[in-house]
Amino acid sequence: MSELTQYAILLGLTLGTVGLVLSIYALARAIGKSRAEPAKDVPATAGTLARDPVWVRYHAKYYGYALLFLAFDMEMAFMYPWAVVYREEGLVALLDMGVFLAILFLGLLYGWSQGALRRQ
Amino acid sequence: MSIAVVLLALAVGCYAVAVLEGWAVHGRLSLTRPATSALALMGREQILPRTPDRLFFESGPVLLLIAGLLSVAVIPLAPGLIITDLAIGALFLNAALAYVLVALIMAGWGPNGAYGMIGGWRFLGQFVAYAMLIVMPITAVAMRAESLSTTQIVLSQAALWNVVYQPIGFVLFVIAAMGVAWLPPIDLPTGGGDLAGGVEAEYTGARLAVLRLARLVIIVALASATVTFYLGGWLGPWLPGWAWTALKTLAVAAGMLALGPRLPRLREAKYLAVSWKLGITLALANIFLVGVIALVVPI
Repeated sequence: MSELTQYAILLGLTLGTVGLVLSIYALARAIGKSRAEPAKDVPATAGTLARDPVWVRYHAKYYGYALLFLAFDMEMAFMYPWAVVYREEGLVALLDMGVFLAILFLGLLYGWSQGALRRQ
Repeated sequence: MSIAVVLLALAVGCYAVAVLEGWAVHGRLSLTRPATSALALMGREQILPRTPDRLFFESGPVLLLIAGLLSVAVIPLAPGLIITDLAIGALFLNAALAYVLVALIMAGWGPNGAYGMIGGWRFLGQFVAYAMLIVMPITAVAMRAESLSTTQIVLSQAALWNVVYQPIGFVLFVIAAMGVAWLPPIDLPTGGGDLAGGVEAEYTGARLAVLRLARLVIIVALASATVTFYLGGWLGPWLPGWAWTALKTLAVAAGMLALGPRLPRLREAKYLAVSWKLGITLALANIFLVGVIALVVPI
């Protein structure tokens, strides 16, 4: 199977999933309709409307981790191609990535020592 | 043909996982219960919350289901029985699973309800904790197989399964996989008894049915990914290949489901701290160890 066919199959799978969901909704609709009644559409907050709006800014208390996550996630982009050719390249590949990972790990240790790895 | 077989196997797998989940949660092994609850959900009212973000509310469950199905698409059931044998299969699995986060945040944001919103944001914190522990163990698996194709990864385990070759990676991957599928004790976005259902709080009727189905697909995807990466996929004596994959997948799913109710729920801060302080260190050590072994031993 060519690459293009494979991605066409994946696209077909995606569209097919949307079709499946739509047919489930249509089936549910065919079984019966919901009756419109007052206060039925209140979100689950003990039957009353919430005092405060929901769509506001929240404090991401894990932002220290999130910043480190960005650095590590970028690193993974290099790791995958490296992993595939690792055995071909041998010891050189181990040393190359070893130095890179050691620097990154030192960064993690530094962040840890500065208190990035806790809920702020 | 093989696509239809894999999709059928997936449907059967989802049903079996639903039965197993009922067993783990309620302690009753009932073969008909998932079917009756699905029918009940279909007959229930579909309520739209008061002022929703309609686009996010409707597309959250659908995107979750698509993410689950796309990740199943690169998992081999047996040689040749795979939807798409991509050369970058393991990477594609990661990419598809990243959409679990997007879908859950959309499902949490969409209904404009406090519990759903908190559930969605909590899952973002959970994502930061588990994400590296999904990708780093897979790197070590790819190092041994010299390929990202899932079929090649299974074939590379012919002499010795990866669960013996890299046990640290296996443990980390299973724990992280439980985080992706928000299985207890790491079920922060839904948090039964804590968040009134979390992201599921505002979903009713058929929409909730789709959300639950998507979650089952994701559990099957992660259990079969564990089997493919660590437990030798279809390899095994006597039985045909597809039977081995199915048996191992169900065993892994049962293990993950059975573990949850026996442990207290992990707080997000604790999960983040353990993942980054202990988990990342172990994952890097795992990559280094596998690197040394792969250079010394030719298997």
